[in-house]
Amino acid sequence: MDNAPVRIDLHMHSTASDGTNTPSELLCRVKEAGLTVFSLTDHDAISGCEAIRAILSPNDPRFLFGVEFSCKDPLGKYHILGYGYDPDSPSIRAVVDLGHRYRVEKLDERLVFLDRKFGFVFSEEEQAMLHALPNPGKPHLANLMVRHGYAPDVKTAFTNWLNQCVSEDLYPRPEEAIEGVLGAGGIPVLAHPCYGDGDQLILGDALDARVRRLMDFGLKGLECYYSGFTEKLRAQVLSLADRYDLYSTAGSDYHGANKLIRLADTGLSANAPLPPRLSRFLEALNA
Amino acid sequence: MSISLIGRIDSSNAAAVEETLVAQIRDGEPVVLDADKLEYISSAGLRVLLRIRKAHPEMRLVNVHEEFYDILDMTGFLEMIPVERAYHTISVEGCEVVGRGANGTLYHYNRDTVVKVYNDANALADIMRERENARLALVLGIPTAISYAIVKVGDSYGSVFELLNARSFSKILAQEPEKFDWCVDEFTKMLRRIHETEVPAGKLKDMRETALSWADFLKDYLPEQAAKKLHALIEAVPHDSHMIHGDYHTGNLELQDGEVLLIDMDTLAVGYPIFELGSIYNALIGFSEMDHGVISRFHGFDYETAKRFWSAFLADYLDTTSKAKVEEVERKARIIGYTRLVRRSIRRGGLETEQGRAEIENWKSQLLSLLETTDTLLFSRDDLEIEASAENLAEVQSFVERRLEAADCSPRALMQLGLAIEEVFINIASYAYAPGTGNATIRVEIDRAAKLATITFIDSGVPYNPLKKRDPDITLSASERQIGGLGVFLTKKLTDDVRYDRRDGKNILMLIKHL
Repeated sequence: MDNAPVRIDLHMHSTASDGTNTPSELLCRVKEAGLTVFSLTDHDAISGCEAIRAILSPNDPRFLFGVEFSCKDPLGKYHILGYGYDPDSPSIRAVVDLGHRYRVEKLDERLVFLDRKFGFVFSEEEQAMLHALPNPGKPHLANLMVRHGYAPDVKTAFTNWLNQCVSEDLYPRPEEAIEGVLGAGGIPVLAHPCYGDGDQLILGDALDARVRRLMDFGLKGLECYYSGFTEKLRAQVLSLADRYDLYSTAGSDYHGANKLIRLADTGLSANAPLPPRLSRFLEALNA
Repeated sequence: MSISLIGRIDSSNAAAVEETLVAQIRDGEPVVLDADKLEYISSAGLRVLLRIRKAHPEMRLVNVHEEFYDILDMTGFLEMIPVERAYHTISVEGCEVVGRGANGTLYHYNRDTVVKVYNDANALADIMRERENARLALVLGIPTAISYAIVKVGDSYGSVFELLNARSFSKILAQEPEKFDWCVDEFTKMLRRIHETEVPAGKLKDMRETALSWADFLKDYLPEQAAKKLHALIEAVPHDSHMIHGDYHTGNLELQDGEVLLIDMDTLAVGYPIFELGSIYNALIGFSEMDHGVISRFHGFDYETAKRFWSAFLADYLDTTSKAKVEEVERKARIIGYTRLVRRSIRRGGLETEQGRAEIENWKSQLLSLLETTDTLLFSRDDLEIEASAENLAEVQSFVERRLEAADCSPRALMQLGLAIEEVFINIASYAYAPGTGNATIRVEIDRAAKLATITFIDSGVPYNPLKKRDPDITLSASERQIGGLGVFLTKKLTDDVRYDRRDGKNILMLIKHL
């Protein structure tokens, strides 16, 4: 078994955040894709991981607890992945709760804004449903607006109404997320480093400075292998991992039917030996 | 199929854009994304492109403007996705038309540049192919102009060429009739050069295949026997890996600073030269057979000049003074020419107008009568068949010299070969048919790549292998030497190799010389 090729994907989303597969559906997909190691990394939520843990059987692929925190500080926005933490640790719970609290605050702010400014109202059941979501966000509101006929489509809901609500953009700070993961015995990793919080392009010196700052907080790894990377981008991130002796991880950012991303598409070839920094990462979580 | 990317693509709409794109892409069709109207793309948008690229590896991006191009470069997307940059837009309104071809119109954009504007709005692939062809031709030694930019012209595209003070042969013929002979000469020389150029396999399409498709098209419009014969004639033409231009006419030769340049390379192909002669016949005569005004509208000179030009060119090309020979090859060329004209006219709706029907009827009836009297489309072009007599030596020498000169033979090699040819030809004239007379055939073959010329002498006279003669003892005094042996010895000294073969009752002597 030791010689069997490792197929790995450490970055995917379930219905616990904005993916379209439930945790159990996701487990089926993971097995179909022939993955041998996987992790579920919902945005600011770990309930999906707990669901997977509950249904995992001994012959299933190796599963790592994961999470992806959206963070922000005066210098920028970041997605911090956390792996192999103890889900029962108050340390990780505190970040999840903080993230959730901010999301609910922003949700309430937006509901008030839409009501006052445009007269868009939602029923109490709908509001309760939104509050019950593990991580309610703008897309959920947009969907609801379309259903009510307030907006013709999701895109217009964003551009014409939702984006006008300048809420106080609340997010946990990166050091809060990193400390939370470390405190729960996990490894904090910077997601898709070149893409910032997903929609930026950060390269060269700017990326270098960013990584060093996060290392000061305790960052341990970089997501070097990522479905959205070209070879050139991957090479940049790999050279940073080498320069600062960081772990590397590999993830697709699979979202189910929401995006064209294919599960297991990380830029790592299926049969190649695991890169050393990634092997070391897996070994560190074994201990 | 081209899909337009419009406005901004960022995280707020990337998912929606992705959905729209995926819905528009049809399986099995190449995905071309037009970025002309793209104002901004964020990394979320880039990733949408990457994902589409993964699902459709043949995806291309066209009309990419500077800023977007830089981002693609910086992020390594350029290495993954074929990208064509956006093109500068120009207008050719009021510009002089230099020529009109099958695929586009050539304009004088300003003093030093011409723009070829393609008729087809989806011409980018054609333009790229023409550039490739031009590069290939240049590498193989054909002087041509390579476009240095692609521009947008109205709804279509154009290729920009630098032509400093260039004038087309059409214009020269129209304005300076005294240069007629010079034009014929240069026109022939360039064509020989093209036809002597060997093209590496697979680089250009095979004209024979194209001609077969014309014949197939005509099946429904010709009597069964004639259609069968046409097909068989073309099928019997052997594969030939030498270059043909495909649209060779006086409008596609330009004189620039004393140098003759070939332009319009999009029809470059390989094949037997009869296919080329067919299209030259059309350009000069075929198109204008019914309406003599066509030639002056296209080339500026009249029908009579065109006819004279054709005959003079063909004699020059075949290197013959024999009228019968010229007429024989002309008949073969016309078979190809009419086949092309009838098909072209039918495809352009010619059968729907009275004038069109009359033209088609004319071409078709000539085609049918030619088919009755023709058994092969092959002709000998590098052979000179001539009576083996001492008086004809000058003609033989000039026949060989012209070919060697066209192949950039060094003056030294030219002189040495001249002497060797004299030895061999006079020998044939003196002994092969004595006391009677007979013909000799002289063939010149040039291998440009190896820089070798092979000159073959064929006669049907008495068997004679000059190589069997022992080399003379040149230390002996003149009076003591054997007569004849010295000539053979000299021939061997003057060339790099001499070979003899006796086949089908013929003496075949080959002189091989490095140029």
